[in-house]
Amino acid sequence: MLLSLNWLREFVHYEGDGAELGRRLTMAGLEMEGISRPYAALKSIVTGHVLECARHPEADKLAVCRVDVGSEVLDIVCGAPNVAAGQKVAVVKAGSALPSGLVIKKTKLRGVPSNGMICSESELGLSEEHDGILVLPGAVKIGLPLTEALKLDDEILDISITPNRGDCLSVLGLAREAAAILGLPLHLPVFSRRVDGLEADGELSVAIPDPDLCPLYHGLLIENVKSAPSPGWLRYRLNAVGVRPISNLVDVTNYVMLELGQPLHAFDLEKIRGEICVRAADAGEIFTTLDGKQRVLNSSDITIRDERGVICLGGIMGGLNSEITDTTSKVFLESAIFNPANIRKSARRLNLHSEASFRFERGVDQGGATFALERAAHLMAIVADGHVRPGLIKNEARPLRRKRIRLRMGFTQERLGVSIQSSFYEKTLRSLGCSMDDASGDLRFGENNPSAQWDVTPPSHRQDLRREIDLVEEVIRIYGVDRIPAQLPNITRILDDAGRPLSKTAFQSRVKHWARGVSLNEIITYSFVGHRELEILDIPVAKSIRIMNPLSDDLDVLRPHLVPGLLNALRNNLAQNAPSVRLFETAATFAADETSETGAKEEARLGIILHGARQSDLWPHSPGDLDYLDLKGLIEHLLQSLLLPEANFVTAQGDSYPWLSPAVDIILAGDKIGFAGRVKTGIADRYLTRKDAWTAEINLDILHSLHKKSKILFQSLPTFPPARRDITFISPLGLRADAILESIARMRSPLAVEARLIDCYEPQGTNERNLTFRFTFRRADRTLKDAEADKQRDLIVETVQKTLGVRV
Amino acid sequence: MNLIAELEKLVSDLSGDLSKVASLVMLDDLQTVYLGRKGKLAGLMGRLPEVASAERPAFGKAANAAKEQMGGMFEERRKSYQAAAADRDLARFDPSLPGRMPGRGALHPITLVMEEICHILNNLGFETISGPEVETDFNNFQALNFPLDHPARDMQDTLFINEGIVMRTHTSPMQVRAMLEKKKPPLAVIAPGKVYRRDSDLTHSPMFHQIEGLLVDEKVSLAHLRGTLTFFLRELFGPEVKVRFRPSFFPFTEPSLEVDMSCILCRGTGAREVGRGRKEPCRVCKSSGWLEILGSGMVHPAVFTAVGFSPECSGFAFGLGVERVAMLKYGIDDLRMFFENDLRFLKQFS
Repeated sequence: MLLSLNWLREFVHYEGDGAELGRRLTMAGLEMEGISRPYAALKSIVTGHVLECARHPEADKLAVCRVDVGSEVLDIVCGAPNVAAGQKVAVVKAGSALPSGLVIKKTKLRGVPSNGMICSESELGLSEEHDGILVLPGAVKIGLPLTEALKLDDEILDISITPNRGDCLSVLGLAREAAAILGLPLHLPVFSRRVDGLEADGELSVAIPDPDLCPLYHGLLIENVKSAPSPGWLRYRLNAVGVRPISNLVDVTNYVMLELGQPLHAFDLEKIRGEICVRAADAGEIFTTLDGKQRVLNSSDITIRDERGVICLGGIMGGLNSEITDTTSKVFLESAIFNPANIRKSARRLNLHSEASFRFERGVDQGGATFALERAAHLMAIVADGHVRPGLIKNEARPLRRKRIRLRMGFTQERLGVSIQSSFYEKTLRSLGCSMDDASGDLRFGENNPSAQWDVTPPSHRQDLRREIDLVEEVIRIYGVDRIPAQLPNITRILDDAGRPLSKTAFQSRVKHWARGVSLNEIITYSFVGHRELEILDIPVAKSIRIMNPLSDDLDVLRPHLVPGLLNALRNNLAQNAPSVRLFETAATFAADETSETGAKEEARLGIILHGARQSDLWPHSPGDLDYLDLKGLIEHLLQSLLLPEANFVTAQGDSYPWLSPAVDIILAGDKIGFAGRVKTGIADRYLTRKDAWTAEINLDILHSLHKKSKILFQSLPTFPPARRDITFISPLGLRADAILESIARMRSPLAVEARLIDCYEPQGTNERNLTFRFTFRRADRTLKDAEADKQRDLIVETVQKTLGVRV
Repeated sequence: MNLIAELEKLVSDLSGDLSKVASLVMLDDLQTVYLGRKGKLAGLMGRLPEVASAERPAFGKAANAAKEQMGGMFEERRKSYQAAAADRDLARFDPSLPGRMPGRGALHPITLVMEEICHILNNLGFETISGPEVETDFNNFQALNFPLDHPARDMQDTLFINEGIVMRTHTSPMQVRAMLEKKKPPLAVIAPGKVYRRDSDLTHSPMFHQIEGLLVDEKVSLAHLRGTLTFFLRELFGPEVKVRFRPSFFPFTEPSLEVDMSCILCRGTGAREVGRGRKEPCRVCKSSGWLEILGSGMVHPAVFTAVGFSPECSGFAFGLGVERVAMLKYGIDDLRMFFENDLRFLKQFS
């Protein structure tokens, strides 16, 4: 809300400057976001008197003027059609600048010297009027700065109004606040209420079948008006607060809305037939608003109708069929209150947001509707040279009910943590327009007795004051919230909450710290991806959750996997020529789930992507690129760190992960906890990869629940030394390494403690590889003899040869 | 020549041979030649039967002495070789060569700040909770006193899944979830997490992070809120931080307060020394000396009613944007950096 300080001063006689007022308003909850001086650039423009005006000897369209600017008389050549001797005008002297920054120089126009310029309103930035020079009122003194002559020396405060304070969307509203904060009296505008002609209320009546939609609809008739541009003071003031002047009739409705907060609508009375009715639109009804667009209405729109149909979309926009025009002479001026929710729905659906709908959505003061109507009608009569007919056309279908609220001082002190004198309560709430009845009864004695209480009736414009706590806020807001002392609370701990397992957040934090420790770098990517990106990855979009109103097509699906974000981060880094990229993200993935309250199943996952050099590419590190074994090693390391058993890594069946080849399922104790694999070349190319990109996603929710059950159990150290035997199996290339281990495990040898692969060698030109395992044997009760270990070794060799057909 | 004399010659031969030795390997070989199982000393010892029995003890003694002496000579020579080798090693040693550093990972600055904030608040007695990012309209808005068709909803541009389901626009629905779950006071929780708005420009990201705090207990006051937040901001930014309260509006708190802290760059003065007593206006706080850092207030009775608590309950709630804190704390001036995931950025936080 743009607030003119000069305008405000008509309501509150505030002497200070805009910055100080802004600071005080800010500390009372009305945050000032900036100050501007819209007419500051006019400081070098002065008023002048055109003494003589003669036609230029060489040019028909130019006039040669002698202009008295107080300190001197200037020769000025002027091209405006309306310049004439005797006018008071705005002059920029040679050497000074226009608001546009253009410096006017001494010059000669077709041989005649010109020492300045007589300005139009558009050149002064006052309006878009550029057909002729600005002619000032005859009473203006000459030689004055224009800003002073026209009272344009104003500060405009940009105040941010929170949605609860619709009452502050006007000069009056902010003046009320300023008066309460500064302890100054409030003055309402005074205007003559001269009326003329026949009583109006017999001429037009208003029916309101549903007071919920429109509790009040009043009007006045103004006759004999002549549409014309508004006088300067009105136009400059509207212009200063960002409203474009249109014509006197329209400008008055805007002016009073800005001043008093009541949106108004002017109809051409002669275009209204019969009785006015305010009711919900019929579904499917078509109406042409005054911007010329056809609107299809529904039953939540509020319509103003005459006997022929809709003439106005109440609170939103007028109709072409009842619009005031240059030829309008009789005006029906409406001042009404509409249901905020209906206005909001209509404005949003029709995308018709206006100053009026903005105010109606936030609540307009029903108690002020009549005053605003009268203020506007009489202003209109003045500026459009008409007269107001006596008699209010009115229908207050549902009078305002004002609520009494009990305010307890003890309760207030408890909520605020600060004790304020009871007289301050009374003074503050009264200054805000509340009426106060002492309700303490016998309870009260003394000034600061917390038993004091009042019955408070807020003023009609404060619809936000509904509960006791709202009044508490008013008291502390004016007292100063910054005066509240700081005190640490004693937070109650609940015994039953003790000893609960690691929370989800703490578990994820543990995983993140693990990842950092194994030199992975954490990334954070958006939870939404584009459906096209999923298509590139061949990820089915069907089961994904779509955003109804996405910011763009690239952010329209909630990600079912982390891989798009991982790949995009990889691309960003490869674009920077990163030699080694090791990234991880822990985040939710989303899948449609009808059984969930939100329709979404959110799964916490860890995503990893590896690309490029395994280690630093610098000396003394050995070269080599990250591969599957690096990725698998990380996952095994994670599981060990979380005290979980070893997982199985098995080639995924079918095309479960169409963006991966090879793709591997990770199985832990029968649960699929995730998958890993290499991004398919055709896909990876799109992300600028030069090497293989290996990626994995692990379900952290499953790991969390498994981790909760895991325990560290100490096992006593073995007393007797082990015996070790190495065996090399020559196995065909298709045979999984763990097939050998599994066949050994099935032997259930009581002495075998451990079997580990210690070498894997593929001789060139064969279809075989040599797998060397180291077996550890031990007895718990005595040292194993060499012969016993040898026997075990022979047994293993025999079994593996028999079951798998490998050689030794 | 008797055998004893030969022993003596052996020793003197050795001293001559030793002088020709040029390496540790030659020394080892020479030791084998003299003292090995089939060496020269062993050869002499093998001739013991030639010695008269009366002289044998003297010969044995002399042989042992010679063995010891020669062993000593070898040992001495070996030591001098080892010392020389150690000297050569030392001379070659270069402490300035780059180390074989294990890989170094990094946590995202958002994570670092979130964990620090949670740690501070956990120590005060707040328990960390978490919940879904796709939320019901009820939890995200209605229970928090944002009625349908109310302009307060304009404060948060919302991404919708459908009419009744939204991407949570703030972490405040966790207040609702926490109270619905606990069923009665007291409770003290914080909820860190991702939130979403339909907004994207230089200073707005459609996804960002918030931390919500909620305390519901007997006789909780604004003074407790100020105490908690002052403690929290001092822990986070240092003991000299000042806290300012400003009235504001949030539908789910009443009274509602914006919390400003004194600018950490200009220390609340609004101006910054730029050397030689010259000052320039502070960019970070735009000369105001204050930075908006938190939204807060006393829990609105309508929220208590919505979750089945008594409207006479007392409590406070607060929320803050993690990106903003991280930007202030680390001097990051571009919000987009957080989501570009450039390793050159990420590595600075490792």
